[in-house]
Amino acid sequence: MRLLLVEDDLMVASGIKLGLSNAGYTVDWVGSAERAEHALDKDSFDLAIVDIGLPGVNGLELTQRLRARGLTIPVLILTARDALHDRVQGLDLGADDYMLKPFELPELLARLRALLRRSQAATTAVLSLGPLEMDTALRRVSLAGQPMEVGPREWTVLEYLLLQAPKPAAKDKLLAALTGWDKEITPNAIEVYVSRLRAKLEPAGVALRSIRGFGYRLELVPPPAHAREP
Amino acid sequence: MRASPEGPSADGLIWGLQRRLLVLLFLPLGLVGLASVYFHYQSAGTAALQQDQQLLRLVPMLADSVVVTLPRDAPRPIDLDVDPGLALLLAPPVDEFLKEREGYAGYGVMDANGRLLVGDRWLPTVLPTTEDAEFLSVVESGITYRVVAQRSPTAAGELIIMLADGSDGRQQWLDTVLLRVVLPNLLLMLVAAVAVTWAVSRALRPLIDLKEAVERRSPRDLSPIDAESAPAEVRPLVSSLNRLFSLVNDQTQAQRRFVADAAHQLRTPLAGLQAQVEAWSQAARSMGGAEQLSLRVEQVHRLRDATRRTSQLANQLLALSRADSVSADTHPMEQVDLQELCENILALYLDAAADKQMDLGIEGAPAQTRGHTWLLRELLINIVDNAIKYTPPGGRITLRCGQELTAEPPQAWIEVEDDGPGIADDERQRVLERFYRLHGTQAEGNGLGLAIADEIARSHHTQLQLLTGGNGRGLRVRVVFEAVRAGGRPVRESPEG
Repeated sequence: MRLLLVEDDLMVASGIKLGLSNAGYTVDWVGSAERAEHALDKDSFDLAIVDIGLPGVNGLELTQRLRARGLTIPVLILTARDALHDRVQGLDLGADDYMLKPFELPELLARLRALLRRSQAATTAVLSLGPLEMDTALRRVSLAGQPMEVGPREWTVLEYLLLQAPKPAAKDKLLAALTGWDKEITPNAIEVYVSRLRAKLEPAGVALRSIRGFGYRLELVPPPAHAREP
Repeated sequence: MRASPEGPSADGLIWGLQRRLLVLLFLPLGLVGLASVYFHYQSAGTAALQQDQQLLRLVPMLADSVVVTLPRDAPRPIDLDVDPGLALLLAPPVDEFLKEREGYAGYGVMDANGRLLVGDRWLPTVLPTTEDAEFLSVVESGITYRVVAQRSPTAAGELIIMLADGSDGRQQWLDTVLLRVVLPNLLLMLVAAVAVTWAVSRALRPLIDLKEAVERRSPRDLSPIDAESAPAEVRPLVSSLNRLFSLVNDQTQAQRRFVADAAHQLRTPLAGLQAQVEAWSQAARSMGGAEQLSLRVEQVHRLRDATRRTSQLANQLLALSRADSVSADTHPMEQVDLQELCENILALYLDAAADKQMDLGIEGAPAQTRGHTWLLRELLINIVDNAIKYTPPGGRITLRCGQELTAEPPQAWIEVEDDGPGIADDERQRVLERFYRLHGTQAEGNGLGLAIADEIARSHHTQLQLLTGGNGRGLRVRVVFEAVRAGGRPVRESPEG
């Protein structure tokens, strides 16, 4: 994955670059909107991280320009100003997500994963979370490269969970998604499909967690080394 | 903040008041004066008319006074210069008239050619063409005469009869009007002007004094103005000012305290950061030319924690200052779906809860209130953050919301319950104070979370209730808002299980 980082602050930029490189991304770093446009003309990137407070043309204007030129690359905005106005403006002008400075690296990584997953799903019809891949066009599910058998109702549940991830899926929404299959489906019936899926996913490190009072969420079980970290 | 010593607006205010009062008082006064002059002038005209009529009345009598002195058979033509052949036997009214105005009256009898037969020589020659009387004014040796001339039949045939009245009524009346009406009026207005100016400035004195008292103040001096010495009319203004002073005073002091507190609090994590980095810098110096510096993993984690704490503190301070500014009601409130809010915050904290193997759940029912969405979000974040931070691993945290529309007023509430150590009764009030931290707490915090939540609650006209959790353990934080009905939206089913 190749990312473009547009940030003029040296400390912030080098920190993000190091963090993203360690997470396995290739990062190109530029300090201004003009250079960013130049870089995007020359090479193709999977995602752009854009700081709002750039010298000259700011991050919002850059995003607007990119969208005006028809570029669909996902844009994550970084901002130190969290006034509601900025948030709305950022998303209105074509940014896909925003993060407030200062932020914690794990959260940035999570947002990037979600954005990349969404943009891939839009182009390839493949939903994925870690080792789990779901090809909605070919109606195939694979786990760690191995095909996984799922029933039609399980498919519906899994597809909805994958679309929502990393956010939790509300149980009543899942119920609504399933009523296409059965007229009289009870909340307990969902419990059945969920536990079946859970049994299939857990050995590969994908957890299907119940959120008390709300619903379910697909999670990657963190590797043991990561789990010890406070 | 600093007011200019010569406040032009304050001066302008007093001046404006003074001018307005003067104009308002002078305008009717001037109108009354003008009206009085006008009516007097009108009556002068009437007097002049009466004089003319008197003269006109006397003309036939004067004509009747003409008697022929020459015998009927006297040779003709008569030499008028020697003897006009007629004399005047004045009728009593005419005689009386002339005697009354000795030196101010005259008469004359002329023949048809305007030659004076009898009378005063200074009279002008007037030849009325018709039988109607003609009036004219003549000035003779400083006296203005009103003169009437009319053709009248007399004993000596048709002659021109003239009567002059030097006691010019019109002039007299004009003089009277000037002397008795216009002059006193002018004098009255002059006196009134002085009196009104004096009275107005005298009456406005308390206002001017008040203005000066406010102007003389330094921005730091917000002590109340003495309301007792002010006149009754200004007292409400003074007490309003004093109320404003005390409000501003409280806010300024709170702000000063807050800035000092914030600076002190920022020092702690910054000191930690600085100490770590300084130590490495020193180590690097003592290592001489070496390019690489090895760090222990534990050191890096400590550095990261200190940094995160500093960031969190900055965010919280910002949230606090926002809650403050919103209490001034500068932003309009909007409808807030508390259930949706709880669900969003739940999703936000799932990872943090998973890291501590906690059971984070929700028991949500539809609940709507009016408020500032982003502030209520901040409120809930701070309460949930607090719960996760101070509840030991493996604990259970539950978000709840709901409403009681039958209550008066209808209530919508949110609750966060944990099964952690809880807060002792005698400390519950203190934890809502800024920067207060419970004794013996392990987790690193700034002592701001609950204070921010409470501040936001107060800006929504409610407050944090700190209660004991279920089974007599842990903490249950409850905030009760005023409920509003969802605008025409069907009530959502609450998710079960």
